[in-house]
Amino acid sequence: MTRLPANFLLGAVLVSLMVGLAALSLVWTPHDPTALDIRNKFADPSMTNWLGTDKLGRDVVSQLMLGARNSMTVALVAVLMGGSIGVVLGLLAAGIGGWVEDLVMRLADLSFAFPALLFAIMLAAVFGPSLSNAVFAIAFINIPIFARVTRASANQIWTRDYVMAARAAGMGTFAISRDHILPNIAAAIIVQATIEFAVAILAEAALSYLGLGAQPPAASWGRMLSEAQTLMYLAPELAIYPGLCIVAAVLGFGLLGDGLRDITDPRLVRER
Amino acid sequence: MIELDTLSVTFAAGSALRDISLKIAPGDRLGIVGESGSGKSLLASCLMGMAPDAATLSGTLTIDGVDMSDADEETWRPLRARRVAMIFQEPMSALNPLRRVGDTVAEPLRLHFGLSRDEAAKRVAELFAEVDLPNPERRARMFPHELSGGQRQRVLIALALACDPALLIADEPTTALDANVALQVTDLLVDLSEKRGMALVLISHDLASVARSTERVAVMYGGDIVERGGTDDVLHAPQHPYTQGLLAARPDPQAALRDEQGKRKRLPTIPGNVPPLSGLAQGCRFAGRCALERPDCATARPVPHGPRMLLCPVVEGAA
Amino acid sequence: MTLLRAEGLTRHYPLPRTRVLGPRPRLTAIEDASFTISAGETLGVVGESGSGKSTLARLVMAFEKPDAGSVAFDGKDLHSLSRPDLRRLRPEFQMIFQDPYGSLDPRRRVGWSLGEPLRAMGTDEGRKIADSLVQVGLHAEDATKFPHEFSGGQRQRIAIARAIITRPQLLVADEAVSALDVSVRAQILNLLMDLQEELGLAMLFISHDMAVVAALCDTLMVLKSGNVLEQGNAAAILNAPQHEYTQSLLTAAGTP
Repeated sequence: MTRLPANFLLGAVLVSLMVGLAALSLVWTPHDPTALDIRNKFADPSMTNWLGTDKLGRDVVSQLMLGARNSMTVALVAVLMGGSIGVVLGLLAAGIGGWVEDLVMRLADLSFAFPALLFAIMLAAVFGPSLSNAVFAIAFINIPIFARVTRASANQIWTRDYVMAARAAGMGTFAISRDHILPNIAAAIIVQATIEFAVAILAEAALSYLGLGAQPPAASWGRMLSEAQTLMYLAPELAIYPGLCIVAAVLGFGLLGDGLRDITDPRLVRER
Repeated sequence: MIELDTLSVTFAAGSALRDISLKIAPGDRLGIVGESGSGKSLLASCLMGMAPDAATLSGTLTIDGVDMSDADEETWRPLRARRVAMIFQEPMSALNPLRRVGDTVAEPLRLHFGLSRDEAAKRVAELFAEVDLPNPERRARMFPHELSGGQRQRVLIALALACDPALLIADEPTTALDANVALQVTDLLVDLSEKRGMALVLISHDLASVARSTERVAVMYGGDIVERGGTDDVLHAPQHPYTQGLLAARPDPQAALRDEQGKRKRLPTIPGNVPPLSGLAQGCRFAGRCALERPDCATARPVPHGPRMLLCPVVEGAA
Repeated sequence: MTLLRAEGLTRHYPLPRTRVLGPRPRLTAIEDASFTISAGETLGVVGESGSGKSTLARLVMAFEKPDAGSVAFDGKDLHSLSRPDLRRLRPEFQMIFQDPYGSLDPRRRVGWSLGEPLRAMGTDEGRKIADSLVQVGLHAEDATKFPHEFSGGQRQRIAIARAIITRPQLLVADEAVSALDVSVRAQILNLLMDLQEELGLAMLFISHDMAVVAALCDTLMVLKSGNVLEQGNAAAILNAPQHEYTQSLLTAAGTP
């Protein structure tokens, strides 16, 4: 067993921390994160409120935990949705080739030219701001990214002799994509998904900060940040906590993705 | 010039080279023949001081009278290129695709001999002419992908010659080349060795190219040299059962193809497969596949004997 | 009885333009090749890299379409069959590849890979996987192992087992023994001879090595840069090559 790369280990620690917090919030938080206690607003850290309270007296730790859950859920749903559509499109493009491949790739180019935030604002303008619209917007930007990665890796596998052998055996495009292509490009897709997870967390925070994502009273790091912004001089720590959480989560998933890439990169791994 | 005395290399999985003894004198042309897993490429990397880190070495390796068995990287570096140079199987991957081949060959000239840009370019053209690259000045300005496989291998030979080595090790230099080109490259190596008085170690699985280009040959199997002697003697009158099997297994294009019943003639084969490192016998490594095997062959370590070095207790040695 | 008839096979590949407005240059991979293979007979195709021999294999396997000419298998023009019809016919002609390390999916057990052609046909696997492993000199238990657990020669046996599992009439072998060691190569060549006699296989055997082709082939076709230099009875060509190029290939394959 070779030593695991440092970026992978650090990423794994940060990610487990964040996922752990999110999972814990499902069953337990120190306080009800939405319970108001105006008399106890801007409380300093104490034994009851470990990181103090905000301007409405809500417990910060509980809100951060809920924010973690919110971030993870949004990123998971968005990456899964956009990723699966993208992977299917990429497999189609590589498997069928010809005009299908051209069409998928030109559409991907087109959607790359369209900023995600703009798309989210458009969705919000038409359907009103909501968390699900933010999820759709983030999922949408993931489609072309996954389509490209999938197509590029799949095209490599399509030239392998064992794929030729499967074709000679009379296997169709669908069966080959399912049996040979997908399992052999899974590593590349997982790496990409991990990195896109980080991007999605950041995007959710940005959208919520702009009021286009999680709506009050739902807790979200981005929304906590925007609420704290007006009180920057009064209580800077209220902006620092969610900011640190965003940094930790984004950094964690980014490092984990890089680390996974280092581990699975065929140029670094000697086959045979 | 180079002398190996009972050199052994051991990995965690088993012993990969066993008591290899060899002498290479200036101008010698030695062929090392073996199949995959025979240890021939490992032997070459030992001669360059580039054995893998995981390997444990014993025995001695002497270059120009200096014991290099425990030499570190610092001691080896000046010897490489200037005393011992090497060319490899895959000429494309050994060249930087983004550099003109002339610049690649000029680099060691400027580094080791302190030549100016113009002097180096002139020397590169001479080297390219020496390896029979047509139109050397133009070739020097080309990128690797603009050259054919044979031309790329010639560039690498020129690079190896740049520092005027006393020994050139060629590890399967023609395996990736077409048959005709392979012949030309092999002939070029012989030619260079004769003109420069440079020793040549040709490592190959191809008996024909070894026969064509070397004076002496060592046949390897499972980390042993099983037979060593004059190339003509060994290849025309092989004595070790493995050498015999290997030679017989080559199809002969001129031989009759069918027997009296009109059935296609089968080729003589060596039964079984080359065992993995961990599965090699304690005694003779060829035990288990050998037609002449005696009960104690697998356990008793064979002793090299005979005027032609032979590692087989069953066969009487002869010249 | 003629099993495979190729007529005037021609295939060009477009090359990148050398000038912005000039015509697009073409690489002629194979030009006007015609040949037949009878049941149980072996045609050897000899040539060096770039001679068009691999293109020929892909055309015969109907992996790509020729620019001109046709391939008729058992009287059916492969390149004008519908996709479903072609897939139904595929079990009849199978292929083995050069690189025994690349022709088996590293993530699939040997038994799974062997069963693939049967699943594509929709036939029951039954004992066929075990039988064909034994037939190529391996063991029935090897079906549960992964490709990396085998040596190059053993992998090539597995690839052959997969190719014969559908009882094809034609086997296309593209440099099938080139990557193997000398002693293993002889074993695999003998295995191909055994199987050919047992199953009445016709073979299209592609190689750069005259010696290998000589051991196996009834008829011979020599290719150079896409053109057929000479073709005909194997023994006749080997004994009296008409072309200087054929002679040089023979010299290169000469005995030590």
